[in-house]
Amino acid sequence: MRTGVTRWLTGAAGLVLAGVGAYRLLGVDDLTGVLIWLGGAVVLHDVLIAPLVLLIGSVLVRGGVRGPVRGALLVGGALTAVALPVLLRPGKPANPSVLPLDYPRNWLVTLVAVAVVSALVPVVRRIGRSRRR
Amino acid sequence: MRSRLLPPEFSGRLHDARTATSIGRWLGLAFAVCFLTGLISHVLQHPPGWLDGDLPSRPTWGYRLTQGLHVASGIAAVPLLPAKLWTVYPRLFSWPAVRSVRHALERLSVAVLVAAAVLEVATGLMNTAQWYPWPFPFVPVHYALAWLVAGSVLLHIAVKAPEIRAHWSRRSPGTLALPEEDGPDRRSLLAAVTAAVGAVTVTTVGQSFTPLKGFTLLAPRHPDHGPNGLPVNRTAAAAGVGLIASDRYRLTVVGPRACALTLDELRGLPQYEAELPIACVEGWSKSAHWTGVRVVDLLDLAGAPRHARVRVVSLQTRGDYRISEMGHEYARDPLTLLALRLNGEELTPDHGYPVRLIAPNRPGVLQTKWVGRLEVLS
Repeated sequence: MRTGVTRWLTGAAGLVLAGVGAYRLLGVDDLTGVLIWLGGAVVLHDVLIAPLVLLIGSVLVRGGVRGPVRGALLVGGALTAVALPVLLRPGKPANPSVLPLDYPRNWLVTLVAVAVVSALVPVVRRIGRSRRR
Repeated sequence: MRSRLLPPEFSGRLHDARTATSIGRWLGLAFAVCFLTGLISHVLQHPPGWLDGDLPSRPTWGYRLTQGLHVASGIAAVPLLPAKLWTVYPRLFSWPAVRSVRHALERLSVAVLVAAAVLEVATGLMNTAQWYPWPFPFVPVHYALAWLVAGSVLLHIAVKAPEIRAHWSRRSPGTLALPEEDGPDRRSLLAAVTAAVGAVTVTTVGQSFTPLKGFTLLAPRHPDHGPNGLPVNRTAAAAGVGLIASDRYRLTVVGPRACALTLDELRGLPQYEAELPIACVEGWSKSAHWTGVRVVDLLDLAGAPRHARVRVVSLQTRGDYRISEMGHEYARDPLTLLALRLNGEELTPDHGYPVRLIAPNRPGVLQTKWVGRLEVLS
């Protein structure tokens, strides 16, 4: 019974907060632009990114090394996603302390590190297993 | 009517409620931290009238911590959000598409949640790189979407509560009903998601958590880059001030006993030192050593009443945040300075030469540079 009340209260609080958000959204300039970008976000994810990830997974993530391969793709993909703005931002930064690093180089460094660690994981595991025997 | 392609079939075995619950609770935690720290930032920058005088100026590192957490939790959501969506993606094609009014509402609320969450995380990340390719203003939309995401997450938790409870732990009844042979593969996936969160955190968090600055590979800021050893947001050139001539500079203090002070007169007043961070709303922060005149001393000089608010006006001719205000908690804090020196050197023009405000527990945009006037209000 108590959990039922908590559940309803949580749902009601959710509706109130979302209502505040929707109300604030109605007041911003260029609501049409926001709605287009909201729809675009769903389409980009559901029609492009998710099928692409599933396709890559079904092709590459299989067999005995599926764990490390999936890990490498996941970590490398996450690092790439986080790096996209600093890699692709067009135009000159506002001053030399904004985007001060060599991001293409750093991004490649992280990917190499991911590849090396992922390749070592199965090796280390095999050694650990044979020691235990 | 069902085509041969729709609905598609999913051979992956981890699109299940246990995987969704495991990743979902981490994403929920990241969103909760991000929302609450975002609210703190919003209140500090746009104080509601009833709170205005009472915002605390301590702890000195308060805003540095909360805004660092805000950006770090948002970056943690970059792998968590797609991972969560991956686990439930097959449900997008559930057939029949709509079974009842309740089902339709549930799907609608999930659509709102997905749209708002993806756009919120993406706009936040791009803002840290000062990249604004969208037609709408960033701050009000990011703020409105935050409420929309927080509300739809709560609603989603309420709707899914029975399933979440049934799959909360490895021993929960729902989890035990899933095929046991999927357990090791699921743990391997969850370990990979955890590693992804760790990797994006370690390569970016050094922009505010300076002990990790050596690993700062992908953050838009680095603590060691900037004049006086401190990053800059708006330069003197961008603010339209250039180099202010020291012999022509005057600080005007408007109050019951108005006065105007030359730079030499300011240097002649008792100088105090403070170790305070610049903490930017975009997430980077760095502590620095400031030397200058206490604002409270200037207020006493001008005969300001104890609870007076203070307006700080910059000499800059361009840009937002030319004027900032502070309540008496900030104005009377002994660490609140009109700084003349930074890290042992005279301020550089980009850091606000000749005089800038530095106060504890305050967003960087309110640390007004090139200060020309202090006004005692009410």
